[in-house]
Order: sequence, then structure tokens, then C-alpha cells
Amino acid sequence: MIPTNYFLILSAILFSIGVLGVLTRKNGITIFMSIELMVNAVNLTFIAYARQYHSLHGLIFVFFVMAIAAAEAAVGLAIFIRLFHHRETIDVDEANLMHW
Amino acid sequence: MPIDLTDAVMTAVKIAIVLGAMLNITPIMVWVERRGSALMQDRVGPNRIGPLGLLQSIADALKFILKEDVVPAQAHRVLYTMAPLFGLIPALTTIAVVPFGRAFVIPDTLTYDSGLAFGLFGAIMLMLLLAAGTAAATVKFRTRPAATRLNVVVGWIVTVSLVGVALVLLAALLAMKSAGSVHIPGAGHLFEPIVADVNIGLLLVFALASMSVYGLATAGWASSNKYSLLGGIRASAQMISYELALTLSTVGALMAAGSLRLVDVVARQTGYFVLFDTVKIPAWNCLPMFLGFVVFVVSAFAETNRTPFDFAEADAELVAGYHTEYSSMKFAMFFMSEYMAMGTMSALIVTLFLGGWDIPYYHEPATFFGFLFSAVAFLVKISIMMFVFVWVRWTIPRLKYDILMRIGWKVFLPLALINVVVVALLIAAGWV
Amino acid sequence: MFELSIFFVFAATAIVFALVVILHRNPVVSALALVACFFSLAVMYILLEAPFLAALQVIVYTGAIMVLFLFVIMLLNLQHQHEALTRPVQQFLGWMAGATFCLSLIFYLLQAAAPVMVSGAYDTSARAIGFKLFESYILPFEAVSILLLAAIVGALVLSARGSTTVKGDTEQAR
Repeated sequence: MIPTNYFLILSAILFSIGVLGVLTRKNGITIFMSIELMVNAVNLTFIAYARQYHSLHGLIFVFFVMAIAAAEAAVGLAIFIRLFHHRETIDVDEANLMHW
Repeated sequence: MPIDLTDAVMTAVKIAIVLGAMLNITPIMVWVERRGSALMQDRVGPNRIGPLGLLQSIADALKFILKEDVVPAQAHRVLYTMAPLFGLIPALTTIAVVPFGRAFVIPDTLTYDSGLAFGLFGAIMLMLLLAAGTAAATVKFRTRPAATRLNVVVGWIVTVSLVGVALVLLAALLAMKSAGSVHIPGAGHLFEPIVADVNIGLLLVFALASMSVYGLATAGWASSNKYSLLGGIRASAQMISYELALTLSTVGALMAAGSLRLVDVVARQTGYFVLFDTVKIPAWNCLPMFLGFVVFVVSAFAETNRTPFDFAEADAELVAGYHTEYSSMKFAMFFMSEYMAMGTMSALIVTLFLGGWDIPYYHEPATFFGFLFSAVAFLVKISIMMFVFVWVRWTIPRLKYDILMRIGWKVFLPLALINVVVVALLIAAGWV
Repeated sequence: MFELSIFFVFAATAIVFALVVILHRNPVVSALALVACFFSLAVMYILLEAPFLAALQVIVYTGAIMVLFLFVIMLLNLQHQHEALTRPVQQFLGWMAGATFCLSLIFYLLQAAAPVMVSGAYDTSARAIGFKLFESYILPFEAVSILLLAAIVGALVLSARGSTTVKGDTEQAR
């Protein structure tokens, strides 16, 4: 039986890598993928704690997170396609129309 | 977690059996495909290498190995090399959750008598006969032009290896006394003929099968060729679309079995439906779930990129799709994974809808012979399904891509949903 | 011992591939690395006795979501986009903030006393999850299905070229 803490630390590392990706990259798709990475890190925490407390609620939450991630990916990528058609780039710095 | 040595050995044996079968599907099916198409088109087909052209596949394999391996200058080298592997891994692994025979208890001792000796003798004779045939065919080819030199080499290699196998069998026959018995290690264990009996069974199949999209998409992109890219995306879009109908059409079978494990699905089908209290018919899923069966089979054609849905490689119209730039063994690996996927799909069709290893009107005993009979029945059913794949390919012309997408989403998806409702009603009525 | 070695191997692959995701300049390689990372996470779920969710992880994330990413990257031909290195100070600060965040997270996780593992049966079969989902969580389940429908419509409206016009779209002629 692997201690829950190991999984939590792995999750923390993956989450931080996702944070780093969002903070340092400007390619929209890469930022989006970093967000997916963070979501997955949180899923890992949910499942680790679900086993810790022998409760299925954590697993159900992961189920919902996956469904919402799918919806988010569909809409998000559609937005990026739109942006690309306008600007010929997906650099998030270029999406500054609403920027003052 | 202590590891039982007997279990480990048994698992290794099962993996060896399944892997051996999967790897041999390609050469056999290539021969069936070529001879079968010839039969249907009233041609002769390849008949030069070996009796009936049986060794054609070996010559093909040798040709693939000896060809130059070309990598396009603009290609992404790493991904270009890895793409065939992405395709091969799902094809090799999905079969792990399919049961290929009846479980049996390993007996204490193996008693051998004249029957086994006779069988071994027959096998030796068969090997020698095949070797002689190959040798004769090869000698005949010696007089032909240089183009067939490769065939001669292949012919001799096969002859020598067949004679070698015959010698090994002869040694076994001589070492065996006329009658006696051997103690078998691992006696008393239940041998379950399934590599991984996991309780998420079918989900694992779909999980691994969904990975095969990456092989196509990566191959298409890494070639840095417009036609390859479009071919890869066309093939992946098709596979993703049909995966839905494929998955939904199995729900009925899972509902009837009340489990995701394919062992349970097969166990449910070993019974009988009794009509009017007199007629007994096998309780195979294809009868109550006919709609699901049809949707699954047609989606399986689309999922394996076979005609009438082979837009991945519509050779006559759309260049060759994602493997345009591939040559040599890399191309052969795509070829192999296509045939393996076909084998896996046939195994799934048989397991889910055609009773798996069940022999109708015969109750297999839980002994080695019961296992052997059931395994042979399973193989026969798979072979029939594989032949149907070939048959359909050379009978039905290719559709248009928009028709493919339309029937996938607008016909098969609703049909699969209707199938779920019908099966639910049947279960509620107590008929299934 | 056996389980632990599997954990460390796949934890290492997950971290390495996650780093490839954020460091590699080619989005296609990033996407494939993310697939590998998600696959390692599925192995983690199996180690955590949740094989059903492991299968879902592979089917939903690697089989559907990441394929969508890959399609978009390949069709828009994004690998030729080069990121200009602007604002080096902010970049540096971002790296520092991320590293600090990571280290502090690990530090506090190690500080916290490990809670006691609940003993007893832990049923994570599809049947148990299904009962939970369709009894306690039926309302969120239906809400998510409506959300997915809305997402499908939204994605179609947004990505349809030419035929539909979103407000404010006229600003730049294509």
C-alpha cells in the first residue's frame, strides 16, 4: 500500500508545472494544455483522498471534472480557432482587443 | 504483494499463446486476402511460392525487411519513427481481456498413450510433406529468370525450418515411452484462458483502442506531407466518430451480463432460449440484440479502416493516406497493426454477440479437452468473421466520405441507442 | 515493493512529460507528451484502486480531449508559430513564483501529519460508482449533460466558418 502522501506530492509537482506553464508561455494552446495538466493534478488528489477515506464522493467528482474538462476543451479550442482566423496567431498577447 | 510462481508462469504461457496468435494473424490473413480476392474476381492469385502460394507472406515479409527505409527530409524524425509503434501497441494489447476458451483445472498427471504418439507421428509426417512440397516447388523455380531468386531463397529457408521442426517432434516421440505419465507442475490450479481478467474488461478494450488514433494522426503529421496529414486526420475523425456507435452497441450485451468482464458476457451466452417450451436455441447475444450486432459489425469495419470505409488509404482516389511516405518495415508495421486490429475486432464480435467459445448443444467439461474444444470453436468463429471482413472488402465498393460520416452519426448512433432500450425492455420482461 | 517501484517509474514519467509539455517549442510534441503524462496518471489511478476511473481517464482525456487538441494544432499548422522572448523580467518572476509555489506546497504537505487510513472494504467497481451517480448525484449528472449540450452548440457556433457571424466579428474582414 503506497502512502497517500506520495500521491499528494506528485500531484503538487504536476500542479506547479501547470502553473509554470500558464505563467511563462504565450502560446495559447500550450497554456490551455497546462490548465488541463492542473485539472488532472487535482483529479489525482481527489482519488488519493477517496482511497484514504474510502469514500466514493471523490471518484464521482473526478467523473464530473472529466465531463466539464471535455466541454471546456471543445469551447476553448473553438475560441482559439476563431482567434487564429482573425489574427493568424494564437499568441495570447495578440488577443488584446479588450485590453486598455 | 507476494507473487505466486505458478501464476506467473501460467500468465507467461497465456501471453505467449495470445501473442503468438496475434503475430501470426498478419501472414495468414495476407494470404487469405490475396487468394480470397482472386477467388472472388475469378483470378488465380499468388500461387508461386509454396503449395497454393501459402508461403507468399513470408516472401512479402522478407521483401519488406530488405527494402530501403526512407525518411523524408522534412519529416519530424522522432515522431516519424515512433508513429508505427503507436499503432502497433493498442493492436497487440487489447486482446488481453478476451477469454479464448473454457477454464479448466490443471490435472495432476499427464497420461500419454498411443493416441498422443499417433498424433505426434502425424504431425511429423505433415511437416515432412510440407517441406517436400516446398522443396519441389523451389527446385522447379530454379529454371526461371533471376527475378524469382528471392523466392528460391525463401523456399529453402522454409524447407529447412520445417525439417527442423519435424526432427524436434521426432526426438520428442522417441523420448516418450509407449505409455506412461508425467507429473505436471502447478496441478490443481484453475487455468483461466484469459490474460488479464480485470473487472473493467470491455472498458479497457475501448481505452486501449482509442489510443490507436495517435498512430494515424502522428504518422500523417510527422511525414510533413499534405496528403499524409489530410489522410491521417480523415482516418482519425472516422475512428473517433465510429467509436461512439461501437461502444454504445455493446451496452446491451453488458446489461444482459450485468458485468463489464467479458468472461461473464460469455458465461451468460452458454445457456439456451427455450421457444414454446420445446425448441432450444443457443442464448447468443446476436439474437435478442440483433440491432446492436449489426451496428457493432459495421462500426468494426469502419474502426479498422476496411472497405467500404477505407478512407485512410483509398488508394485509387485519395493518394494513400497517412502512410504515403512510409516504406520498408515501418510500412509493414502499419500493415500488421491493421490486420491485428481486424483480429481483435473479430474476437470481440465473437465474444460479445456470437457466444464466445461456446459450442451450441454441447456442454464442455472443465478438463483440458473441454478447453481445447472450446478454444478451437472460438478460433473457428473468429476465422469465419475474418473471412467476412475479406468478403465484404471485395464485394462492396467504397462509400463517399460525407455518407460515411452521415450514417455514423445519424443512423448508427440512434440505432445503438434504440438497441439499448430494446434490450432493457427484454430484460424487464425477463426474456433475456 | 513491486507497487512502489511501479509508482516511482510512472511518477517520474509523468513529471518528465509534464515538463516537456511546458518547455517544448513544438505544440505537437507538447500535446503528445501530455498524452503520455495522462497515461501515467491512469496508472496512478490503478494503484489507487480505481481502475474504472483509469479507463475513463484514458478514454476521455487521451482518447477524446487530446485528439481534439492535436487536430486543432495540426490543422492550424501551429508548429511554425515562434514565441518571441519578450518581458524577460516577468518570465523570470514567473519561474521563481512557480518554483516557490511548488516547494512550499511540498513543504506543507510534508509538515502535515498523515491522516489515518480508513480500514475496511473499498468498492470502486463500476456498479458501486453507478449507484452513487444515479442516486445521490442525479441532479448534477443531468446538469452536466445540459452543460455538454451547450458546449457542443457553442463550439459549433464559434468554429463554423463564414456561415454564422458572431457579434463584433465584422471588425476584421477575413
